[in-house]
Amino acid sequence: MKKDILERLIQEKLNREVQAKTRRHFIKNCTQGIGGLALSSIFMGCDPLGKPSPKKQIAFSERDLNPLATLAPHYNPKVKSVIYLHMAGAPSQLEMFDFKPKLHKLHGQDCPQSLLEGKKFAFIKGTPKLMGPQAEFVQEGESGNWVSNFLPHFKKVVDEVAFLKAVHTDQFNHGPAQLFMHTGSARLGRPSIGAWATYGLGSVNQNLPGFVVLTSGGHAPDAGKSVWGSGFLPSVYQGVQCRSKGDPVLYIKDPKGVSRDLKKSTIDAINTINKEEYVKYADPEILARINQYEMAYRMQIAVPEVMDINSEPEHIKQMYGVEPGKESFANNCLLARKLVEDGVRFVQLFDWGWDTHGNIREGSIDLGLRNKCGEIDRPITALILDLKQRGLLDETLIVWGGEFGRTPMQENRGNKKMQYKGRDHHGDAFTMWMAGGGVKGGASHGKTDDIGFSGIEGQVSVHDVHATIMHLLGFNHEQFTFEFQGRHFRLTDVEGEIIKEILA
Amino acid sequence: MKKNSYKGLASLTVILGIVLLWNVLKPEEEVDFSADIKPIINKHCIACHGGVKKNGGFSLLFEEEALGDTESGKPAIIPGNASGSELIRLLKVDDPELRMPYKKNKLSSGEINLLTKWIDQGAKWGRHWAYTLPDKVEVPTINAEAGFSLEPASDFLKNNIDHFVWARLEDKALEPNPPAEKNLIARRLALDIAGLPPTTDFLDRFENGQLGYEAYVDSLLAQKTYGEKWASWWLDLARYADSKGYEKDMGRSIWKYRDWVIDAFNKDLSYDQFTIEQLAGDLLPQPDTDQLIATAFHRNTMNNDEGGTDDEEYRVATVIDRVNTTFEVWQSTAIGCVQCHGHPYDPFKQEEYYNLMAFFNNSRDEDTPSESPLLKFYTPEQQEKVNQVVTWVTKNGNKELASRYNDFLQFTEPVYKSHFFKNFVNSVYDDHAAVNFWDNGNCIIENAYTNEADFVYLNYRSHYDGTKVTIREKNADGPILAEFTINKSKGNTTSQFPIKKKDAQTDLYIETQNNSVKKEVTVLSVYWVAFLNGIPGQGRPEWNSINSMFVEALNAKVETTPIMAENPNYMRRTTQVFDRGSWLAKTDTVYPDTPKSLNAWNPNWSKDRLGLAKWIVDKKNPLTARTLVNRVWHQIFGRGLVSTIEDIGSQSDAPSHPALLDWLSLRLMNEHNWSVKALIKEIVMSGTYRQSSESSPNMYQIDPENEFYARGPRIRLSAEQIRDQALAVSGLLSNKMYGPGVMPPQPEGVWQTVYNGSKWVESKGEDRYRRGVYTYLKRTSPYPSFLTFDAGSREVCMIRRTVTNTPLQALVTLNDPVYLEASYQLAKNTAVSNDIDQSISQAYTRAIHASIEAPTLKALKELYEISLDEFSENPEATKLLLHLENEPSPELSALTIVANAIMNLDEFLTKA
Repeated sequence: MKKDILERLIQEKLNREVQAKTRRHFIKNCTQGIGGLALSSIFMGCDPLGKPSPKKQIAFSERDLNPLATLAPHYNPKVKSVIYLHMAGAPSQLEMFDFKPKLHKLHGQDCPQSLLEGKKFAFIKGTPKLMGPQAEFVQEGESGNWVSNFLPHFKKVVDEVAFLKAVHTDQFNHGPAQLFMHTGSARLGRPSIGAWATYGLGSVNQNLPGFVVLTSGGHAPDAGKSVWGSGFLPSVYQGVQCRSKGDPVLYIKDPKGVSRDLKKSTIDAINTINKEEYVKYADPEILARINQYEMAYRMQIAVPEVMDINSEPEHIKQMYGVEPGKESFANNCLLARKLVEDGVRFVQLFDWGWDTHGNIREGSIDLGLRNKCGEIDRPITALILDLKQRGLLDETLIVWGGEFGRTPMQENRGNKKMQYKGRDHHGDAFTMWMAGGGVKGGASHGKTDDIGFSGIEGQVSVHDVHATIMHLLGFNHEQFTFEFQGRHFRLTDVEGEIIKEILA
Repeated sequence: MKKNSYKGLASLTVILGIVLLWNVLKPEEEVDFSADIKPIINKHCIACHGGVKKNGGFSLLFEEEALGDTESGKPAIIPGNASGSELIRLLKVDDPELRMPYKKNKLSSGEINLLTKWIDQGAKWGRHWAYTLPDKVEVPTINAEAGFSLEPASDFLKNNIDHFVWARLEDKALEPNPPAEKNLIARRLALDIAGLPPTTDFLDRFENGQLGYEAYVDSLLAQKTYGEKWASWWLDLARYADSKGYEKDMGRSIWKYRDWVIDAFNKDLSYDQFTIEQLAGDLLPQPDTDQLIATAFHRNTMNNDEGGTDDEEYRVATVIDRVNTTFEVWQSTAIGCVQCHGHPYDPFKQEEYYNLMAFFNNSRDEDTPSESPLLKFYTPEQQEKVNQVVTWVTKNGNKELASRYNDFLQFTEPVYKSHFFKNFVNSVYDDHAAVNFWDNGNCIIENAYTNEADFVYLNYRSHYDGTKVTIREKNADGPILAEFTINKSKGNTTSQFPIKKKDAQTDLYIETQNNSVKKEVTVLSVYWVAFLNGIPGQGRPEWNSINSMFVEALNAKVETTPIMAENPNYMRRTTQVFDRGSWLAKTDTVYPDTPKSLNAWNPNWSKDRLGLAKWIVDKKNPLTARTLVNRVWHQIFGRGLVSTIEDIGSQSDAPSHPALLDWLSLRLMNEHNWSVKALIKEIVMSGTYRQSSESSPNMYQIDPENEFYARGPRIRLSAEQIRDQALAVSGLLSNKMYGPGVMPPQPEGVWQTVYNGSKWVESKGEDRYRRGVYTYLKRTSPYPSFLTFDAGSREVCMIRRTVTNTPLQALVTLNDPVYLEASYQLAKNTAVSNDIDQSISQAYTRAIHASIEAPTLKALKELYEISLDEFSENPEATKLLLHLENEPSPELSALTIVANAIMNLDEFLTKA
């Protein structure tokens, strides 16, 4: 009997490879995703790009059973995975990468009125004073790119990295700016970059989530879980938060008293009965469910394994500076490497605590920022070197940045002198960098004016950054769309240009 | 080879020739704009000649633009003269540089023919089906002879819905399924109507015939659980949550709105009234408390308390959200597109967006952390005093004054919040929507209307005694209107001070003196200022006590709910078009109005939210009833009659059963008087609904989405239903209704919000087992297992929960302690000593509402045996699994594992 059903299941699966049966949104995008496709494309199988090809028939069928089945992008991708390091709170470019000797000379002078006119700041009132860099800078590597003494380890990898010195955003509050940085819109409801990537590409390792989120710094990002949400995409593409404390993934641990063998027997019993159910109802969702239960069982083994950093050799742990058992950025960097090594598509790290207004010691430019830099310097350097020594850097993209930058002026909240040195939010010009496959190591693109207030050359927008990430993953960002409420949405909205200057 | 292809070409030419000849010779049929022309335009032209781009000064979105002059100075379409029309010429040109569509493939000859014919026939502009509603729809008659044998027909044809469905089935040569088995239809009905599986008793009465089908449906509709189930659906649309959203995401007490929705469904408040009260309850004459609570619908918008954010920016964002949500919820239209430019394909102009915005731009809420206006709920003793004040004012003053007192006591508006303050000297606009004054501080309250009031009210906070406050007219040199001293306060306080009467709208200068403190120390934080005539009857003996009752009520600590309140005329905002959607680039001033392509405005309606609500529920509105019918149908069948439930318009899918959609919509309005219960009943009484959902691979191939309804619906249950069902079948579910959101157990460390001290405090007692609709919803961190099962975070309106199927869902029902506890209870309730078969069968039947079949029993019994062996060998595991049990036994452990397996079966998770 059982054999009989299984044979039918296999037969059914074969049938499905030539017939279109899927959930509404797939068909919809399939037939209308890219305007003007013939109706017959329904029979070409569905992939989010709406690109009919014989290969896609199989992909379609697998997607039907498993929404994370892999798909090929528009063209040959430069990277397979992305590790996105977000410093939540917005790090100061002026103390890390954007060296402004002139600002040093102007330290303590009133900010010119011309810069303040028509500008809105989060906290600065009246006429603030300019504040010189609170760190020292040296040129590092063959590229001779500037790095501050807050990041002593980073010099080892400076030639792997391509800087974007004049990124700009139109948001200057954390929540909306983080949303904008991760979903391409400051308003809620859009999918995050990781969700787009996982939707478009699926995931190589079926035993792990395709899109993993790791947080450190004691808080989730200001904008909440929406920064890794799936927006209008199916929720299966949202980021799965893996935690260093408690269960690495919610509900991943078997209940107390239930052994692995018993869980296996339970799933076997469930699937046996579900197969009977399928014979009666022929609903493909039942086949998908059978598949998902098997995957869940494997995930229960794979997730704790990949999330266990203790199994790493001592020298690797030292290299990153991990603190087992704690929630730390260093641990998360090592986990990020393990995850991409195991085929996770998109790893998103959020490190909270970069909001250096100068209102408290931890949030000061000279003391607090130096500490935060200390927390990321070694792990990031280790991450790049470790990926490189494993031959993974070529197929991984690392993106580093915050949601905006900080003002060259010292903050004067409430129009008063503040207790510590701080800088206000500033979106006109800030630094991000990328490293890895397809990226021109040692490049530095874009320039800011003498005090680092505005970009004067090579300005790039958040949409441009997104277009570039999509490009490296093999997507034409203008054609990678999802139809929702009658409109084709894309990550880059109606903008975005690939930043060719930093591509290898 | 070459010869062959010539031959092929020759025969192709012959065929083409015949086709063309036929086209010329066949009787001339009228080309239908909506059916034939609009799809060609939308597919090939609208991207460059629509609402966004109008290349060459030519757009095909509106008739007047399509037939009007283009940049060349001539029209592109000359009605009645296709050969003279530039449009047709450019479609036919060979030079790809000149031909339209630009740099795309040439249109097919069929398409060009259609366009030619249409222009020759006069280029009649039609209205899209979505924007017109017929007056009457005939129910198709069934021809008993054609189609199917009579037997399935008599089972299938239960009401008029089936006539429409039958016609389509006949077209497709499909036969409907036989009716579902009684136990299955009973479960389906209970889940669809009340959101819960039927109780054993209830099911028995139905199965043994004591309750007929209709009586069963009626009693489900009469259960209180009906309101809870349908509220879950509506609350997604209303973006209801228990927190404000954005960075801080502080809690918000707005659960009375959720309870209002539950009650509205339960008492079957007609949908037109349901709409009016939510959009404009505050504007109804003498609204009652419930009607004010209903307006919280549009106070479910997010409120941004993040430091450094501009309240005006987020107030505007809120207004935009209200426009968009109103149109998404009631009109199936993504009007948000029109914010920046004309609608790319639907007939809405950019200015019309701002006309709509003008309806919503005039409410008192201003993105302040207090979320004022808040409706106050006094305790009975407090209310007694409030009534005395209002009665006194009514008796001794006039009606108008009494109404102002009533508003002020109910929701403390209108007041001038700190947004109205400017020109700060030794004072500063604080981030918490207050103005902080230092010694010798001053600022201006802009353009305030003192309304001939003889009292000024201040809501403030102060840590110091003896701050002298002076209010002058206009500026520092203006005449003094009020002088008073403010002392240390306990938290926020509202106080009353005399002020000189003045009937003018003027700047007010406000100044503070307190030299007992150091520089830059805040001596006074002012949250708002208000002006109100004193209580009339001054001099009468009771006056003093009435006055202090009034001030006491203003300071009473009470439960509140955010509501809508309209600006008085002197605070009215102007609405301007935003250039490219940017709120900082304001251009033309506009006034409230509705889009021209929809139903006409009745001049008797007031040009405010109330008028807008009446326009929406006007029987001439083509989208309101269809939207509701389509979405209720979607809730029940898992697919809308228009499958794009978000969108009914020119880009939406065509309805699978257009006449049925219209017939149900007209019937809802004209015969059911907007009764949602009647609509649901009509649907579930149909034979279409009652069919078995069994199918075959072949049937799935023919109709994967069940668009033709040759089988009953089969859909995975919603997030709330899955949990509710587990609690219900295990006997844990509490039937307690209403009240603040509850916090059932969730894993530790899930809440991690920035700058927000709030904590998930596990509820006690029965509150742990309440229905999902009562679970506390924090927007930045919703209840995790609901998220996994596709519930949203309710930050914005969510029309569809896309159903997914993921391993993480399996982990929830296998490992979440909620399901383990339910499994244990189910096992305990159904265990029969010394009869394993019986125990398993009972657990299965209790959960699935079907008797167990042999292969299922076999599989579960095997699992039982394996489990029993394991737990018998390992008493520690038994104790761990049954940590809630006083007498843990291997048998109960094994049965718990079996019960958990049952709760993971597809049959359990799915409505079949």
